[in-house]
Amino acid sequence: MKGERLGEFEEFTLLAAGALGDNTYAVPIQQYVEKVTARPISIGSIYAALARLEDKGFLRSTMSESVSQRGGKSRRVYTVTPSGLRTARDLHRVRERIWNAIAEGGRS
Amino acid sequence: MTRLPRPARWLVALSPVPPDTRSEVESDLLELFAVRRRDGGRLRAHVRLYHDVASLWLQRRPSSPAAARRSPFASMRDVPGDLKYAARLFRRQPAILCLTIAGLSLGLGIATAAFSIMNAALRGEGLADPDRAPVVLRTTDRSVSTAWKYDEFVHLREGSTRMQVEAVLTESAPVHATPGEGDAPSTAVAFVSGGFFAAAGGRTTLGRPLEAADERQAGPPPVVVSFVFWASRLDRDPAAIGRTIHVGRTDATIVGVAERGFSVPGNRLLWMPATAYGAVYGSGAGRHTPDAGIQVFGRLLPGVALAEAEAQLSGVAASLSNGATAGDSPLRAKLDPRAGLGRMSRSDALGIAVFVFAVIGLVLLLACANVATVLISTAITREREMGVRAALGASRGRIFRQLVTESLALGAVAAAVGLLVARWALPTIGTMIEAPAGADLSPDLAVYLFLAIVTLVTGVGAGLAPARHGRDADLVAPLKGEGASQNRVAPRRLRSMLAITQAAVSVLLIVLATLFVRATFRAAAIDVGFDAAGLYAVSTALAASDDSVAALRSFQARAMSELQGMPGITAVALTELTPFGGATKSAITRDVPARVVHFNGTDAGYFETMGLRTLAGRTYSRAEVEAGAPVAVVSESLARAYWHDRSPVGQVLPREIPASPVQPVVIGVVADAITARLHERNALAFYQPIDHSSGVPAQLLMRVSPGASGVVEQANQRLRAIDPQADLRIASIASLLRQEAGRPRMLAALTGIVGTVAVVLCVIGLYGLTASVVGQRAREMAVRAAMGAAPRDLTRLVMWDSLRPVVIGLAAGVAAALLASRVVVATMFFGVSPQDPVAFAGAAAILLVAATLAVLVPTRRAAAADAALVLKQS
Repeated sequence: MKGERLGEFEEFTLLAAGALGDNTYAVPIQQYVEKVTARPISIGSIYAALARLEDKGFLRSTMSESVSQRGGKSRRVYTVTPSGLRTARDLHRVRERIWNAIAEGGRS
Repeated sequence: MTRLPRPARWLVALSPVPPDTRSEVESDLLELFAVRRRDGGRLRAHVRLYHDVASLWLQRRPSSPAAARRSPFASMRDVPGDLKYAARLFRRQPAILCLTIAGLSLGLGIATAAFSIMNAALRGEGLADPDRAPVVLRTTDRSVSTAWKYDEFVHLREGSTRMQVEAVLTESAPVHATPGEGDAPSTAVAFVSGGFFAAAGGRTTLGRPLEAADERQAGPPPVVVSFVFWASRLDRDPAAIGRTIHVGRTDATIVGVAERGFSVPGNRLLWMPATAYGAVYGSGAGRHTPDAGIQVFGRLLPGVALAEAEAQLSGVAASLSNGATAGDSPLRAKLDPRAGLGRMSRSDALGIAVFVFAVIGLVLLLACANVATVLISTAITREREMGVRAALGASRGRIFRQLVTESLALGAVAAAVGLLVARWALPTIGTMIEAPAGADLSPDLAVYLFLAIVTLVTGVGAGLAPARHGRDADLVAPLKGEGASQNRVAPRRLRSMLAITQAAVSVLLIVLATLFVRATFRAAAIDVGFDAAGLYAVSTALAASDDSVAALRSFQARAMSELQGMPGITAVALTELTPFGGATKSAITRDVPARVVHFNGTDAGYFETMGLRTLAGRTYSRAEVEAGAPVAVVSESLARAYWHDRSPVGQVLPREIPASPVQPVVIGVVADAITARLHERNALAFYQPIDHSSGVPAQLLMRVSPGASGVVEQANQRLRAIDPQADLRIASIASLLRQEAGRPRMLAALTGIVGTVAVVLCVIGLYGLTASVVGQRAREMAVRAAMGAAPRDLTRLVMWDSLRPVVIGLAAGVAAALLASRVVVATMFFGVSPQDPVAFAGAAAILLVAATLAVLVPTRRAAAADAALVLKQS
């Protein structure tokens, strides 16, 4: 089922959310992804990825308490779910296996 | 910064972002904006901000319940479905479809045609920045004239330091576009000085404009053809440059095709250098430029004020040694940017524009009301369908959108048909209004834009009415059963309003059309004071290119004796001005209020030729004309204006009327004659013996006895025999008069066509409405019939119900027409009273008869239906 898989961009977003720790939100995620990939990332694509990840159950979002630097408005904060973490790890492991194979001379 | 830049906020509001998360998105964007501005500068922050905003559209969030509410643009995605549904619906009801499209396309077509004509009229002639291109008037203490002599123009051009001075002379000459062409039509040619195109701001599509060097060129003269000429006579030949056409008596080489829309002055088709004048009109050696009658205009140099240029040019004009013709006062130059190069005065154009736009607006209102009527009657029968849609979860907005899409689809089809109607109607209307040959009536971008906007407005407008109805309608009741909707008739008020509007607009238009038609007849019937039939003007002025005035005089003397001896010609006269020949000489009196008095120099035979009766005293004799005696003959009106009941004979012409060189003695009074500007009906005039030394070229006027045939052709041949080189043109005064009287015909034709369309639309609308109302009331009528109502009673009942709004609309339309006819410039009516009872009664009768017929047919059918059958069916 496609819903269980991750696209590259989704993976970046998911990992960024994990790296930034619990209760992070769209702006830091965007800046993080932009920094590590060294390419301009639009906020719209982050929103879309976050929404898709949430649909797939890899992220969970809640509304935060109101934040003073945002004029007292609350914001949607994201936390990586265990299933998200597991999927990311699986993906990482698959990649590792392949890289190892490459290092050993093209055989798995 | 606490908020996003305003454009970004607007874009976010329009974006597909769900409203409940919009403020969050704005906060995010603001935060990013602040960071980026700090790190990368203002510009970069802005670029990234709009990139992010754009990404809100491009990167859609997956649909979640919250995302179901979409931006206004998102609804565009429903359009294909709606269109498909509309197509299916219309296929089921082809009659309604055809009716609606016919009405709407007729309305749109006429509106487009009317707009095209006005567009052409308002587009002007393409004179760039006309306020900086004034006409130079030749003024003395006594006279103001647009005509200069060529020498004077050259002097002005050389002396002017504040403006570029150019000249133009307009004439017509037969033009053969191809060598083999038979009888070539006369074509308007402008003879211009070298810098004309530069000063007028004329550009070319192909080739080059005329230049200063062209004035001195030897060999075949160069010619620039207008876009209309190129399109109509040269078939848009891309290789037209270098082609030779035959203009008058010379071959001319096409050097350029003027840009579309450039036709200064007065719808010219060809431009040639003034130095080619002699070649075109067939003189030999000697003068190659026209003698007199040159219009001078100029382009102010940058930064030069009008007054400054005028003062400088007047200085130049004053130094002209021209005492002989200018009388005792020196020549001055007066700059008049409003006189323009023969362009329509702005107020005239504006008046007509307002009027035409009002008419267009009315027609569209009518078409709109008509389509709305039809759509409403379908909307009523579609209540059930709407109910189903609502029950399945369609929001009212969604249903609304569907109805508007349907009417827009209708509008688009109608617009296409309307464009065909307009294309077909344009040449017809163009002929009717006697558009000049150079006028470019074919639709341009502005016309297409107009049609598109109007279609949109009409479509949405027509869709709105039933959509509003749909909004207010009970969407559930129709689902419960047939019976619920049977008793519901369309909202009566809305239906009546539409019928009232249609009737009122129809009446208004028919009244105006009738008024204009009557004005056309009235203008044709204005008593000009002389019999124009059989009167011909022989223009020989152009043959004077042999330079000397004496040559012209001797030609005219021979011509006169030749013509006088011809059978069929009863009288011949020499005159400076011929009736409705285009030129006028008038003096403005010094009394209060000032009057305009026409004057003319004639020979002794003029009054007999014109057929003007001598009412008192006598007319001047041949000897007096030869001697240039200071005598004058005045018209009856002039005599009455200044001498009232006393006889003017033997009196000196009042000082209030400027005359030159001395105030003449009045020796006689002749009947009134209107010889120019028909609509002014100004018969104040005086006549003086013609002054051959004035340099004004005289023309021959001849009267052909009624019943004589072929006389004009014979006269033409005989005159040609005198001087084969002479260019002669014989014009029928009667046809010139008809042209002059045709002014209200344009408006009559326009309102007439539009009025007819209005009635047709009204009938279509009424028929459709009545048919649907009768259909819905079938059950009620059947019950009435069952209870003993006779078919006649039923007919009367329904008819009165349907006709009542028509009668109300009739009253409203008559009131509006009374108002409108006061506003329309009175001169357009040529003396027909704006409250003309015939027009009003006629319009009311036409509408009532048409409406009755429209209502009668469906009503009778319904009344004749079998009541038992109807009741059984329901």
